[in-house]
Amino acid sequence: MSPIPPGAQLKGAAAAAAGQAAGTLGVATGAVGSAAARVAAGTQAATKPVVPIAFPPPEVKADCEELLKRYPTKMAALLPILHLAQKHNAGWVSPALEAGVAAYLGVSDAHVRGVLTFYAMFHTQPVGRHDVWVCRTLTCWLRGAEALTKTALAKAGIDKVGGTDAQGRFSVREMECLGLCEVAPAAWIDGQVHGHVTPDSLGRLMDGCA
Amino acid sequence: MTTPATRRTPETKVLSLNFGVPDSWTLKVVRERGAYQALEKALKTMTPEQVTAEVKTSRLRGRGGAGFPAGVKWGFVPKSSPKTKYVVCNADESEPGTFKDRYLMELDPHLVLEGCLLAAYAVGASVIYIYVRGEYPLSIARLEGAMAEARAAGLVGANILGSSFSCEAWVHPGAGAYICGEETGMLESLEGKRGHPRIKPPFPAVEGAFASPTLINNVETLAHVPWIVTNGGAAFAKQGIPPDPANPRAVGSSGTKLMGVSGPVRTPGVWEFEFGITLRELIYGYGGGPLPGRTIKAVIPGGISMPVLTDAELDVKMGFDELAKAGSGLGTACAIVMDDTCDMVKACINIAHFFADESCGQCTPCREGCHWLEKIYKRIDAGQGTLADLDLLASLFGNIEGRTICALADAAVWPLRSILKKFRPEFEARLARPVTAVAGQAVMS
Amino acid sequence: MTPPSPSSVPAAPPAAAAVTIDGRAVPFRPGQTVIQAAHAVGIDVPHYCYHPGLSVAGNCRICMVEVEGSSKPQIACKLPCAEGLKIRTQSPLALEARAGVMEMLLVNHPLDCPICDQAGECHLQEYSFAFGQGATRATTEKTHLPKNVPFGAKVVYDAERCIKCTLCVRFVDEIAGTHELAMGGRSDQEIVIMTAKGEFTTPYAMNIIDLCPVGALTSRDFRFKSRLWFMDFTPTLCTGCARGCNVTLGARTGRLMRLEPRFNAEVNRWWMCDPGRLGYGHVNSATRLTAPRVKQPDGSWVEVTVEAALAFAGALLRAARMSGGGMSGGGMSGGGGDVLCDGNLALEELQLAKDLAAALKGQARFAAAVGKDGDSLLIVNEKGANAKGAEALGLARQSAPAPALVLLVEEHDNVGKALRDGSGAKVVFASDATHVPASAEVAFPLPTFAEKDGWLVNVDGHVQALRRSPQTGPQGLTSAVELLDELLTELASPRGGRGLSDVRAELRSLPALAALIWTAVEAPAPAEATT
Repeated sequence: MSPIPPGAQLKGAAAAAAGQAAGTLGVATGAVGSAAARVAAGTQAATKPVVPIAFPPPEVKADCEELLKRYPTKMAALLPILHLAQKHNAGWVSPALEAGVAAYLGVSDAHVRGVLTFYAMFHTQPVGRHDVWVCRTLTCWLRGAEALTKTALAKAGIDKVGGTDAQGRFSVREMECLGLCEVAPAAWIDGQVHGHVTPDSLGRLMDGCA
Repeated sequence: MTTPATRRTPETKVLSLNFGVPDSWTLKVVRERGAYQALEKALKTMTPEQVTAEVKTSRLRGRGGAGFPAGVKWGFVPKSSPKTKYVVCNADESEPGTFKDRYLMELDPHLVLEGCLLAAYAVGASVIYIYVRGEYPLSIARLEGAMAEARAAGLVGANILGSSFSCEAWVHPGAGAYICGEETGMLESLEGKRGHPRIKPPFPAVEGAFASPTLINNVETLAHVPWIVTNGGAAFAKQGIPPDPANPRAVGSSGTKLMGVSGPVRTPGVWEFEFGITLRELIYGYGGGPLPGRTIKAVIPGGISMPVLTDAELDVKMGFDELAKAGSGLGTACAIVMDDTCDMVKACINIAHFFADESCGQCTPCREGCHWLEKIYKRIDAGQGTLADLDLLASLFGNIEGRTICALADAAVWPLRSILKKFRPEFEARLARPVTAVAGQAVMS
Repeated sequence: MTPPSPSSVPAAPPAAAAVTIDGRAVPFRPGQTVIQAAHAVGIDVPHYCYHPGLSVAGNCRICMVEVEGSSKPQIACKLPCAEGLKIRTQSPLALEARAGVMEMLLVNHPLDCPICDQAGECHLQEYSFAFGQGATRATTEKTHLPKNVPFGAKVVYDAERCIKCTLCVRFVDEIAGTHELAMGGRSDQEIVIMTAKGEFTTPYAMNIIDLCPVGALTSRDFRFKSRLWFMDFTPTLCTGCARGCNVTLGARTGRLMRLEPRFNAEVNRWWMCDPGRLGYGHVNSATRLTAPRVKQPDGSWVEVTVEAALAFAGALLRAARMSGGGMSGGGMSGGGGDVLCDGNLALEELQLAKDLAAALKGQARFAAAVGKDGDSLLIVNEKGANAKGAEALGLARQSAPAPALVLLVEEHDNVGKALRDGSGAKVVFASDATHVPASAEVAFPLPTFAEKDGWLVNVDGHVQALRRSPQTGPQGLTSAVELLDELLTELASPRGGRGLSDVRAELRSLPALAALIWTAVEAPAPAEATT
């Protein structure tokens, strides 16, 4: 998997350099696909000014205020608040939302983006309506995870893990051990855990996603 | 080839007593079954020091993988401090092959909470954070539900059970990073930052969460504490494997442990035993042994971060020291089984990729080394490897292990080094193969 | 980037406690780490992520040393000194650990040396040369990351060259305090990211260029300008404000190429501000005065020799003195000629300007700009680099236009257009032709701060030395000290006929200056700054 997928819509100086670098040598490193997107998002952010979204929106205001009470510092509420923010923003955190959260917690937006791009569950690019995770680590791998990944990609019409299909229906990700080893191979669709998954059952589950 | 073991050793249900009981995660059900009696006993009849003393007597060892004596760790927290003291329950369970804590949190969250409260009472903490990995939504929901119930019943909050002990409890979600299971990586994440482990010293007991004294223990470790308080540390210490009398510094492996088996076996799952059951009985007797027509090739006894054992080596007892002596380690005691259809080179790619992806990126040897290892394995898998590559792997193991801020790098090296050592012929055979066509294109290294 | 040389880190005072490093007893102060004790005595334990002015990160691992009694090497930057500790930096284990880290750093590092500005002052290069492997064992494809990323208008970031040491992030957090950088991504995708605002608000951002041990952070201003080994380096001072940050001036064939901070424990530690760093354009200005000039009767200028200009100026000044004032309205003193000085002038120049004013029966005054950007780090509102020196010598400060006979103006807005034009000065010393007011009849080229030796007094009273960079400015300029002294001779002043060292000796004995802090100029002159 290329860390900067060829054809990714990078802007500015990063595009020229990245395009040259990743271009002709074929498959580069084995970085997790979403890490590449995180990097690309990081370089895009510097090229145009961002207007912060007013945060928190009414639907999560009470929860956010309650969360702040739990910690001695505002910064410590960042992870649970980012989960909330992401959930209420169609599954991803835009630069404007990132700036809004940063302002709310009195931390720098660079800090927030550093956190967003560190954790696998946060997304800084738009995601599909349905998030499909396939666990790829040893136990699930031993019990057929690779076939599930292939099925998921084919069903979604995506060629690389970490990607989203053109219609915005699915994002397919490979995740590291989900802790469902006794029901391997495991998958997760829209927060719903599935064990003993087969290519057939995964296909049917994905067919059922609008 | 030894004959598979049958289920001779019965389970000892201490932690798993309520598993399978309907609505076992509700206060109503577990209170009737004895939940919070230990807390009441401690608050009404014991001093904090006495609680710690019982845990010391129990010789309870950390259940997260490191096996450090819990009572000793509790003793590191300063008795008095001008700062708020914290208990952080490590429920980040991201070690591959490991799912035991998930059962505890989903099926008996009150047990976990009671263990945390007892620990808080013992060390003088007034806030508990249970750090649960973000990929465990049900665990989070059940723990939060348990906390709400407990708060309403006066078991969490001000003046618990009418005593002078006040303690708050919250669930803090992770967001997908194995490194946050490392103590100080967890503290950084708790504080709202990237999960970069800290250099120790200072240790969390003195300077942990929010620069304050903090006790961090694994979920399973804390879940043992109510039983220890109720029945006494001595009773706990009688279970499991006693310390080697010839070694004055030995601690043994006391009490029970949740042990799991996963991989291509007939009946993967988790059970609870006193230490001492053999790995063979665990895998063959309870895990059901290999799938029909297959044989076991290699086992990692606890998680993924330990050296592998071959089928011939499975008669070792499940215990911290026993597995260490056998050249491996107990880890989380959740075994991953690899059978004869498993390609060990490809397995190494999978293992190396895991550690490479989960590396936080701070330290040069881990950040650069883990990915390099993966690339070398991929090259060998593609038939482009040379004998020099095998020497290179061995050399890199040496440059990665013991050279970093935290043990993730060590954890990567241990299984990989043992696989190369014990399955070297498989690697060498791969070296002889000519360049393979992959998807119609020659693979360039 | 100039890492602090061991001799520039304050040496530990004699202490009873010592650690043993490579068999040698090395004293330490309580709280010091092994790397600090080692560096203080000149043992160069290699380091990337360690910096004495920032928190310890301990992530590069290159400073690993062998500790007796431990099979695991330990990082010297975090290891506290303790009595009895025995360290070996050249043992097989230490060397192997170090070589291992070097190899790892080079696995994905791009082969940019031919186009990288850092060449010649790059820790990766230096350490590779000193103890790296000769050949690489890494034949796998390198990780690719963004290159040429603008970090604001002044700094360029290259994520492939970056070794993730986090010095830049720690600086912006701990010293600048603006938190505009962070680490982003994870694992081998970890890179430095910047605030989405796209520009630093801190005026200290460019210090991260000096801090970066490799070419991951480079100066847009200096990018691709020159190779280090063609440049000439002079230790001198910044004159952007009264802080007097110690700098190293890099020049080549007549052009000032760059300024970078030089360590001084009392004044600026390791830092300088961006406006100061970039404030040298006047030195390279295309309109520098390169030769003395005299105004013809028809109003046009003709270049003349120094001697001719001095003779002309001398005659003009004598005539002005005799008529009790050289300009309409008289000076503030009511008679004779006043001398208006740029607040950046050195003590020696100011002293001679005072003498000149006295010889003209006038007053010497100074002008200096005052800004509003002073902060708690380095920047001072007082923009006159030697305002404190001028005050100590008794020169009054002039803020509004007023007549003067002689004007000395360096580049700065210290003596702004209104003051220059309002002076009506006839004898002018200026570094730039565009600063010569219309009233001037003779103009002498004034060397800028880069082209003279001179003492400046900073805001805290430290007397510090400017040093002449032979490679900058028009060639063959006569120093202002010499010119002013010649004019004193032209005026038959008993104060004439002295050189720089005479003036300095007098300054040193002045009671008015006794309260200043003279240690910097009394210590032996430091060796030429190395890259």
